[in-house]
Amino acid sequence: MQPELVWPGVHVVLRLPSGSHSVHEIKPNTTISVGKYGSFQSNFLIGRPYHYTYEIIDQVDGSPPSGLRIVPPAELYADIKDEEPSKPVDLEEGEQADINGKEVPAQFEIVDQKGEVLLRTNRDIVDDARSQTMTMEEIEMLKAEGKGSGRDLIAKILDSHSALDQKTAFALAKYTLRKTKKYLRRFTVLPMDVPLLTRWMMTEKDALKTMELREETLALVGSWSNVHFMPSQLEEHPKQPGNIGQGRWLMVDETGGLLVAAAAERLGILHPPNEQENRPLATHPNRPFDVQPTGDMQLTPENPPDSQPKSNKRRFSIAKSNTITIVHANSQPNLSLLRYFNFDAANPAPSHPLSHHLRTLSWLQLLHPEDDNACTEPENIAPEVIQTWKSGKRSNHYRKRRRWERTVAVVSDTRLGNFDGLVVVSSLSLPPVLHHLVPLLHGAAQVVVYSPSIEPLVELADFYSTQRRVAYLNDPPAPEAMPTVDFPVNPTLLLAPTVQTISCRPWQVLPGRTHPLMTGKGGSEGYVFTATRVLPAEGGVEARGISKKRKDKLEDVGRDESESRREKVVKAKDEEIMDS
Amino acid sequence: MSTPSPFLQPSSAACPDALAILHLKRDLLTPTVLRTYDDEQLGYAEGKVTTTRYGNYPHSTLIAQPWGSQIRASLVDTGTRGRVGLHLGSGKKRKREPSSRNQRDGSPPVERSIEPGPEHTTSPELKSTKPPIPAPTGFCHILPPTPEIWTASLPHRTQVVYTPDYSYILQRLRVTPGTTLIEAGAGSGSFTHAAARAVFDGYPKDAATLSHDQSTQELPTAPLRTGRVWSFDFHEQRVQKLAAEIQEHGLEGIVTATHRDVYQDGFALDGPSSNPTINASAVFLDLPAPWMALRHLTRHPLSPLNPLVSVHLCTFSPCIEQVQRTVSALRSLGWLEIEMVELSSHRIEVRRERVGLQEEGLRGVNASPATLEEALGRLREVEGRDRSYHHGMTSQTQGEDLADEATGEYVSKQQRLQHIRDAQADRKLYNEGRLVHRSEPELKTHTSYLVFAILPRAWTDDDERKAHEWLGAAPVKESNGAIVPKSKRQMKREAKEQAGSSKDVEMDDE
Repeated sequence: MQPELVWPGVHVVLRLPSGSHSVHEIKPNTTISVGKYGSFQSNFLIGRPYHYTYEIIDQVDGSPPSGLRIVPPAELYADIKDEEPSKPVDLEEGEQADINGKEVPAQFEIVDQKGEVLLRTNRDIVDDARSQTMTMEEIEMLKAEGKGSGRDLIAKILDSHSALDQKTAFALAKYTLRKTKKYLRRFTVLPMDVPLLTRWMMTEKDALKTMELREETLALVGSWSNVHFMPSQLEEHPKQPGNIGQGRWLMVDETGGLLVAAAAERLGILHPPNEQENRPLATHPNRPFDVQPTGDMQLTPENPPDSQPKSNKRRFSIAKSNTITIVHANSQPNLSLLRYFNFDAANPAPSHPLSHHLRTLSWLQLLHPEDDNACTEPENIAPEVIQTWKSGKRSNHYRKRRRWERTVAVVSDTRLGNFDGLVVVSSLSLPPVLHHLVPLLHGAAQVVVYSPSIEPLVELADFYSTQRRVAYLNDPPAPEAMPTVDFPVNPTLLLAPTVQTISCRPWQVLPGRTHPLMTGKGGSEGYVFTATRVLPAEGGVEARGISKKRKDKLEDVGRDESESRREKVVKAKDEEIMDS
Repeated sequence: MSTPSPFLQPSSAACPDALAILHLKRDLLTPTVLRTYDDEQLGYAEGKVTTTRYGNYPHSTLIAQPWGSQIRASLVDTGTRGRVGLHLGSGKKRKREPSSRNQRDGSPPVERSIEPGPEHTTSPELKSTKPPIPAPTGFCHILPPTPEIWTASLPHRTQVVYTPDYSYILQRLRVTPGTTLIEAGAGSGSFTHAAARAVFDGYPKDAATLSHDQSTQELPTAPLRTGRVWSFDFHEQRVQKLAAEIQEHGLEGIVTATHRDVYQDGFALDGPSSNPTINASAVFLDLPAPWMALRHLTRHPLSPLNPLVSVHLCTFSPCIEQVQRTVSALRSLGWLEIEMVELSSHRIEVRRERVGLQEEGLRGVNASPATLEEALGRLREVEGRDRSYHHGMTSQTQGEDLADEATGEYVSKQQRLQHIRDAQADRKLYNEGRLVHRSEPELKTHTSYLVFAILPRAWTDDDERKAHEWLGAAPVKESNGAIVPKSKRQMKREAKEQAGSSKDVEMDDE
């Protein structure tokens, strides 16, 4: 769900005129600094809407503290001369008549009456640093005065440019934009969410930490993984402990929690519930602030609405549906990026839905629980003895037992399998990962593997190739011998393994200047392997090709199928599949 | 809502009257609604049968199988039935695509029984079905539908929004469970299905049952189920087909298909309703002229947009002129964060490329020399053969490969090829050759341009004044904490402090 307004306790992303982003946690009564563009009080942002561009208004002597001003969209677009700026959109002629047609003929005049503007070229322009008559010192002085939003400063800089009138319209626009990026004291407030976090990590922060996972690739992974909210099923199936349709997802996440965050967002469990509803502020559009604050304590942490202590006496609570199970390679999972969504994996707040829906276990706990200390039962001591202990020792004992109970519950539940899907984003060697995790999926569950480079996925696709599957079926190795050199994974368990990639190309759309952006982020393109877990029929099945002869014979429900003909047909289909 | 949608919550096994997908091979998927009776009156002795290039599948062999199962084909007598069909007048045509026809015209199965077969009685109860006989070859996999599978197998009515596009669009529109989304230009319904999955946060009537489950108490579902897709299209027949599909797929509580020309009439709901507006926070316009629909998407009192949140918009246009016009209109209407992107995606073929003379005569390989040594060897062989031919010699040529070493006899090409074929059975072809990858042969080089924009909630001077009065500019205290969910330990510590006596709290917690 969309956040309504900026509230304390959330992380927001401020996009600066330079195009870079800075992430801030909003705390009341603090100062937020946005580098060279200035600083402002957080209270001027709290309770204000997202996605607007705010301008920092400076403090004039004796006036109340500096504030923020929402820049109206018209002002933002003032420099863009659209073709028909004054004409209302709904009154354009010729369109209404053709609403049922497929395509409305557009009347674009890229070369219009202002021909002399477009004809101007840069042949007379001599590059000369002296064109700008203002000196660095003068600019710095004006900046230090700190009056206004920076717009005056930019105007002065433009004024003092001696060759401004020689510039082409486009060059002037570029020059203005460059100065704007440098001096305009504005920022745009964006809510922190998974796509923005992905983009920020990829382009600015540290792409390697998230395995160079791009926004568009993450979207593709999300769709193919089929991760979505599932209501808890009413009817219980006692025969199947981990019931299908409960929404249990198995993941290997080495992106610092980005994958978990993306899955949680798709499940609706990323943000603490009632983040909006329980706020003391009514959120009627016209009267957002009906509730009067009581003093200046209204937003202090003493009474956070979403951490009301519940009389919850369960030792640990694990949700049964819409859960994410993480298998991690280190003793603790790295889910550090979840802090932007107020979730600390090491010390989860019970009010956060992820604390009930996220389960973590290590590879050791999954594959060899007997070797893991957390899975060995701590000594069970009689309550009478415990009563005599000091409180510290006692709570320590209970904590250990709780941890053990939780670990064992998670491990045994995971080992039962029947997961609804598997998503792997990991630098581990993939075949062993899939060898162990694919059998934990139920039939028709989706398998999605992301890799920043294609080679691991090509290798994986080869291990699940049709040829290898046919060879496996013809001469299956003993189950206990798996994985073998020739069959690192059981190739019969996945259907239609596919490798794909996606890339996103942003464009600039300005009147007369529409083209793809000139530069972009390189590095990994990002590849996605998808397949479906299937249940091979017992005893083996032979494929069938399309052979004209065969079709005719089938009409008489023949029982005289000779072995030789069958073989021929098998080959026909195999080859066809290989070609596909 | 009788059964949950197979898209959103598949049952543990294939069940009757639900949509299932028969996966025959890559990119050959056949959707069919499983029936225990012959709902289309096709007259097979086994009841309803889906016939494919890779065998015939009576539905009795599909129902109750776990999803993902490999299903053997059955021997089905299509010949006798064909004569019955001829008797009815249109049997030959129906024979070809019995399963998908029902979905294409979307009419309920009852209407299809207007052609009662004289030999085969129409009522499903009376009919005794023949137990299916397994065929010696042929198989398929039975899968529950997902938006991805459906996109790959749906009947095309218009240009389809494919998986890479819709996944990116839904993410950029910030569609999560509980979002209300407007879709104009429903088309073939691929985006509709994906959007339904993304907004889904429970069925309308499930609120009561959900509260029984402790684990879902934390989820904001029970009273506030808001995830909806409002789908509009100006093509009446397409809307009818989509509505029938939605019904058949169990999505009727989530998707509402409306026949409407949104350029003219906007997005207001029909008739007096307790819920006068749609309250959408995401809009997807797959229209030829999105700018003409934009005037209905502003912050006015009867706006279909949620007044409390920023509304995310995406338009899907193939031509750059449409984009320019849309962007210009968006700017004049005060939309922010306008961005246009183009997606390109492709699948990658992975194969083993076998090159070498040992592949001669085999299919799908390159039988040219793999190495320089092989090439030299082959050249020497040919040279030697030429020389021996010219010298009139019959045996003991210099080309050693050419002669069978044991007998010293000349090996004909036919024999050589036979040797290669015989040797093939012992080779591990799946491990041979070089592992290579390349783009799929046919690329979708352009789908459409995607324009994204955001309309923030309206913010008046009055709102600003109230916000300012409410919070004001307090003296800056850097040390002040924020409202974040507290950790268990922290809460415990605070509880301890409040209670004064640590012991009681400790015990309660355990």
